[in-house]
Amino acid sequence: MKCPLETREDAEILVAYSSRVLNGGDTELLEAHLQCCSACREFVSGQRAVWEALDGWEAAPVSADFNRRLYARMAREVSWWQRMRGRMGLLLVYRALPVAAVAALVAVGVLLERPAPPRVPPQPVTAQVDGLQPDQVVHALDEMEVLDQFNHLMKPGSSTPRM
Amino acid sequence: MGGATAALDYDAELMLRVKDGDGESFAALLEKHRSPVVHFLYRMVQQQAVAEELAQEVFLRVYRSRGTYEPTAKFTTWLFRIATHLALNSLRDGRNERSQERLDERSEGVPALQVEDRRPSVEQSMVRQAMLDEVRRAIAALPGKQRAAVLMHKYREMEYTQIANVLNCSESAVKSLLFRAYETLRARLAHMA
Repeated sequence: MKCPLETREDAEILVAYSSRVLNGGDTELLEAHLQCCSACREFVSGQRAVWEALDGWEAAPVSADFNRRLYARMAREVSWWQRMRGRMGLLLVYRALPVAAVAALVAVGVLLERPAPPRVPPQPVTAQVDGLQPDQVVHALDEMEVLDQFNHLMKPGSSTPRM
Repeated sequence: MGGATAALDYDAELMLRVKDGDGESFAALLEKHRSPVVHFLYRMVQQQAVAEELAQEVFLRVYRSRGTYEPTAKFTTWLFRIATHLALNSLRDGRNERSQERLDERSEGVPALQVEDRRPSVEQSMVRQAMLDEVRRAIAALPGKQRAAVLMHKYREMEYTQIANVLNCSESAVKSLLFRAYETLRARLAHMA
């Protein structure tokens, strides 16, 4: 048998043997190895001492009122949750309607008070003039001059135009 | 192994009933696991009042988690994972520092010795008390994870696989943890043989 102390993982066999939970076949093999390995013998002796020392450490009994305290805490948690749900429910019942009414009033008010859409001011004439190109202006002036001359030619009283 | 599987199924089944709102199943789980959890926590933090407070938190968390419980692992693995997590946090927070400093004193509510009818002499009692204190000190000196691994291995007789699942590490990591822990304990306690 390979010495179990050579690797940590194999040392579990020594721990199991020390706590007397090793199976029969492995026990025989290990006991044969222990005959010739002082390090393993020392390990087993020390481990058994540890095991027995730990056996002597008994835990205290649980308090008699452990369950009562636990259930009280659980009840507090449940009642806290129920209170929260109750409060949320009350909020919904008693607050939702007034809040909705107020919201509706505000909405109506906003609609009524909403400013009328701005009126588009009439385009000033200059705007059109501004938009004209210089040659168009010259052309218009020429036409005005022609009209003026035409008016002079068509004076009242004259039966025929003076051409 | 069959018994363990049956136990797994039974605890998980109880927890599934708790999930369905069955309070009696929770009471059954509490009755079955209360002492192991409190004892484990007591040995972890070494103060009875803190251990019971933490154990209450463990069962509260179990109860709170009932709605989302899925039996993906052994119930005890889940339970001791919660307990270990709380104990390690408590140790980290130093909530039981005072108790560590007062290991020489007897903790209130903790029987110093389980004295049987043979009535040991005062001297024998003192020797045994000294040995017990030494064991407690040796355990308290272990790092948190090593301590948890030793306690689950020694007192709950958990297999490496389950300890690994509780501590959320590999099986070889557990073997390494236990090897180092027992090495430390042998150095401190071997003379008690």
